[in-house]
Amino acid sequence: MTQSQNIHEETAVLSLRGVSKKIGGKTIVDQLSFDVREGEIVGLLGPNGAGKTTTIRMIAGLIQMTEGDVFVRGSSIRHEWKKAIRHIGAIIENPEFYPYMTGYDNLKQYQRMNEWISNERIDEVVRLVGLEQAMKKKVKAYSLGMRQRLGIAQALLHEPSVLILDEPTNGLDPAGIREMRDYLKTIAREEGISILVSSHLLLEMEQLCSRVVVIQDGKLVTVRAIGGASAAEEKSFVRVMFRVGRFDEAKQVLGSQEHAEILQVAEEQNELLVALRYKDIPETVTALGAAGVPIYQITELKQSLEDEFLKWTGGNRIA
Amino acid sequence: MLSFNRLVLNEWLKMSKKRSFFIPYAIIAVALVALSWAFKRWGGDMIGSASEFTAMMSSTSFFGQFTAMLAVIFTAGLVASEHSLGTIKFLMIRGQSRGKVLASKYAAALLFTLSLFVWLMAVGFASGAAFFGMEAGAGAWRDLWIAGGSSFVYSIVYVTLGFMMGVLTRSTGAAMGVGMAAVVFSSLTIPKSFYKYVLFPNADLSVYSHGGQPPIEGMTLPFSIAVLAVYMVLFLGASFVTFKKRDIA
Ligand SMILES: Nc1ncnc2c1ncn2[C@@H]1O[C@H](COP(=O)(O)OP(=O)(O)OP(=O)(O)O)[C@@H](O)[C@H]1O
Ligand SMILES: [Mg+2]
Repeated sequence: MTQSQNIHEETAVLSLRGVSKKIGGKTIVDQLSFDVREGEIVGLLGPNGAGKTTTIRMIAGLIQMTEGDVFVRGSSIRHEWKKAIRHIGAIIENPEFYPYMTGYDNLKQYQRMNEWISNERIDEVVRLVGLEQAMKKKVKAYSLGMRQRLGIAQALLHEPSVLILDEPTNGLDPAGIREMRDYLKTIAREEGISILVSSHLLLEMEQLCSRVVVIQDGKLVTVRAIGGASAAEEKSFVRVMFRVGRFDEAKQVLGSQEHAEILQVAEEQNELLVALRYKDIPETVTALGAAGVPIYQITELKQSLEDEFLKWTGGNRIA
Repeated sequence: MLSFNRLVLNEWLKMSKKRSFFIPYAIIAVALVALSWAFKRWGGDMIGSASEFTAMMSSTSFFGQFTAMLAVIFTAGLVASEHSLGTIKFLMIRGQSRGKVLASKYAAALLFTLSLFVWLMAVGFASGAAFFGMEAGAGAWRDLWIAGGSSFVYSIVYVTLGFMMGVLTRSTGAAMGVGMAAVVFSSLTIPKSFYKYVLFPNADLSVYSHGGQPPIEGMTLPFSIAVLAVYMVLFLGASFVTFKKRDIA
């Protein structure tokens, strides 16, 4: 365990170490530590008011931290802000631009702030986010989706190592959310960049991230890999809903199965929710058939991140 | 230095790309042409030449004070509007230090004020030349520089006050309001001894020209310059200290 942690530290692009923020005696972020590794897309997950935006503001040096430090490619944001911030591209809350200027003029503003950004680089990031057609339009005529893209172009302009996005899908319609997800993946691949993305949209995180950091009330709740080994392990057990006739017999048969557990019964709907091993499903169906139980429906209930999230954060569980 | 110039250029573009940017220049031009026409028509031979006209127009008792107001109004939003637009978040994460960004904003405010005065002089002179001719009497140029220069200093003082208010309150309205109110208060004098240490009676240095009486007993040109310098240091000090330390929400 310690060995693997060491490996993580070596390849970490962004590390938070015991970061806290207190405002007026209230602890908004409490001893938060986690890493974002090379090329990784990490979700920062938490309900409203969990402290996601506050954490991101501290990472970017917009607000001072009360304790702890953030390291970006080994440079401390507190003590070597210039060196550290060079590797960060960020959108914090909504992407806000000068509305009376064109998209291009807005990007030129940021180009002038770092001398290594070439005009070709502007064209390149504009192409990457697909805004070629909108560059001559004033930003006040942009849709929210277009502003998000311009925000990402702004964040990529200086070739950072880590992209930090605070709820980038906030306010986007389902098609916009999907597009955003697709081009974030493209960007991560093409630019070889790490991404830290905050959200309370859990499904989003499942489809985008390889790891999620869950926080609540400013505290770290858990760090989970998604789609990795640990998830596969949990998947060997599945939750299956049986809708049957002859409810009582079905209950008896399922109850007597080895390695199966009835999680919930809904007698009015004739439904039974059972946790069992995936490979045992055919056997269970045969047993029900042998007992003369008619089966109308078998559905696997995916344990979504959403369910888990509520479990982790102590919300009401919907099973 | 190159990067500082670029920051100032950024600030200048943020001001000049607004559609309202030409308004102060237009007001000055229209007013000066109209006034020179009016003086020619009804003023008799009160004004004899272009330089005389320009000196009179740019003095604090005439158009200089109004130009100071324009300068305050159009620079009040330099810092506050970044907060209200939310653009401050991008501005502060581009690797340029906060002190440098704020300095570039202040430099842009000074440049803008300077441009208003150059414009005031240029239009005043052109219009004056058209109506009154170029012939200048003795000391006319000196009067012109005294009038324009003291109005410029006067404007810078109140622009700096408005700038500080913008940093402290993050509100364009508050910065504009306080700056303009200060310009108005500037013409009132309370004849009490303590009042000579207040900013207002010291802001207009032109009172000392032509052997004029100081607003309050005991004030001299060096005294006023010293008082102004102290206030400027205070205004700028408060602005930079606040801006560098502040949490940006
Ligand atoms: N300047 C401040 N002063 C006092 N409390 C603050 C301040 N900024 C944030 N908070 C509080 O800190 C908590 C965390 O806020 P934060 O904006 O970081 O949450 P979040 O996770 O981004 O929430 P959301 O999902 O709604 O964006 C909230 O309860 C908020 O009220
Ligand atoms: Mg937030």
